[in-house]
Amino acid sequence: MKPREYRHSAFVKGMYLLPLYFLAFLLFLSACTSIDCPVQNRVYTLYDLKKADGTNDTLTNDTLWVWSQRVDGTDTVISRDRQSTLELNYFHGSKAYSFELPISYTQPEDVLYMLLRNAQGKNYVDTVRIKKENIPHFESVDCQAAYFHEITSVTTTHNIIDSIVIKNPNVSYGAKTAHFYIYFKADR
Amino acid sequence: MARRLHISTFISRLTVSLLLLVVAQTSMAQLKMFRMEKDSIPFFRGFAVSFDLAGPAMLMLSDHGEYEGALRINLHDQWFPIVEAGLGSASHENDEVTQITYKTRAPYFRVGMDWNILRKKHQSNRMYAGFRYAFTSYKVDIIREDLPDPVWQSKAGFGVKDMPCSMHWAELVFGIDAKLFGPLHLGWNVRYKRRLVHDDGTVGNTWYVPGFGTNDGDNLAANFNVIIDI
Repeated sequence: MKPREYRHSAFVKGMYLLPLYFLAFLLFLSACTSIDCPVQNRVYTLYDLKKADGTNDTLTNDTLWVWSQRVDGTDTVISRDRQSTLELNYFHGSKAYSFELPISYTQPEDVLYMLLRNAQGKNYVDTVRIKKENIPHFESVDCQAAYFHEITSVTTTHNIIDSIVIKNPNVSYGAKTAHFYIYFKADR
Repeated sequence: MARRLHISTFISRLTVSLLLLVVAQTSMAQLKMFRMEKDSIPFFRGFAVSFDLAGPAMLMLSDHGEYEGALRINLHDQWFPIVEAGLGSASHENDEVTQITYKTRAPYFRVGMDWNILRKKHQSNRMYAGFRYAFTSYKVDIIREDLPDPVWQSKAGFGVKDMPCSMHWAELVFGIDAKLFGPLHLGWNVRYKRRLVHDDGTVGNTWYVPGFGTNDGDNLAANFNVIIDI
């Protein structure tokens, strides 16, 4: 039996305009393209200064310099603002209870030199060695590639640093908690 | 990490809400949607094959897109079980800002059902609402050569080749078909895609996923189909 034919309503006749609707929709979609990159896209390590009893420590009247060596062998400053690669940067005062340091992209081990000058002007230098796994990280073709890291060990000399412990081995975008607790000797 | 919201996310949600509203109202107006109409029209009404034109257009106009076809069964002009298959590819070479190269090419598959939500089912034009379950298994190349370490000044590029990844996702579909002449129809549909399970490999995320589009929790897409009744 032949199917019954229905009269076309105005709505169904309007369906013949489908290609126009579709083009309008494509234009609408193309206007909505967004770039999905994280706002916080720095990868760095966070150090908290601690006393032996677990409370926060500060540098008070002491000053701490941190530096490392570039691959080509020259010293580089690695500190909060990285304004210069020639001048030493430092952390100083009662508000210096925590600090950030960058971490190399692909070196298997970062070697940091920490120099602490106390209120009497006496200098103590320690060498900190951080071993890590380097994990390439991709977000999108629109976002810069990066490296995340898993810290596997940390060792230090003990001229002024009593110990360093790993609190969070995973280093990725935007550190929210400390990766290391660093304990300076109390009699500095 | 806090979820990042974008303009496209808001538009996706708005569109899906509107689609659901249309479908719900239409369904409420005709609760017979899931009940077979009592008439003399046979239950099995044949097959239709379709080819999408939007995906190839995207391939011509951008660095990613799909070739896609579908086989649909017509059950009493009411229910339309459907199988879709396609080949998605992306070739984004040496991005001018990030210098990243991203390549993938893989098939994808969908299975689902459409419902004709028009009150008068047995006419040549149709309006559909439906769903899909979709899957793809794909491999990607992601290359960034000579990535400079800003502090240590070393070159730290990386490259992964043929990294295996996969994704399962679900789709809500709303579409319209119009008969041109004989067995030939034209139609379009919009799709809200929701990621269910995904394996993005070992370097964080992937960018373009064949059949899904650019990788995110959800996505909005459209097809423009040439449909032939067979």
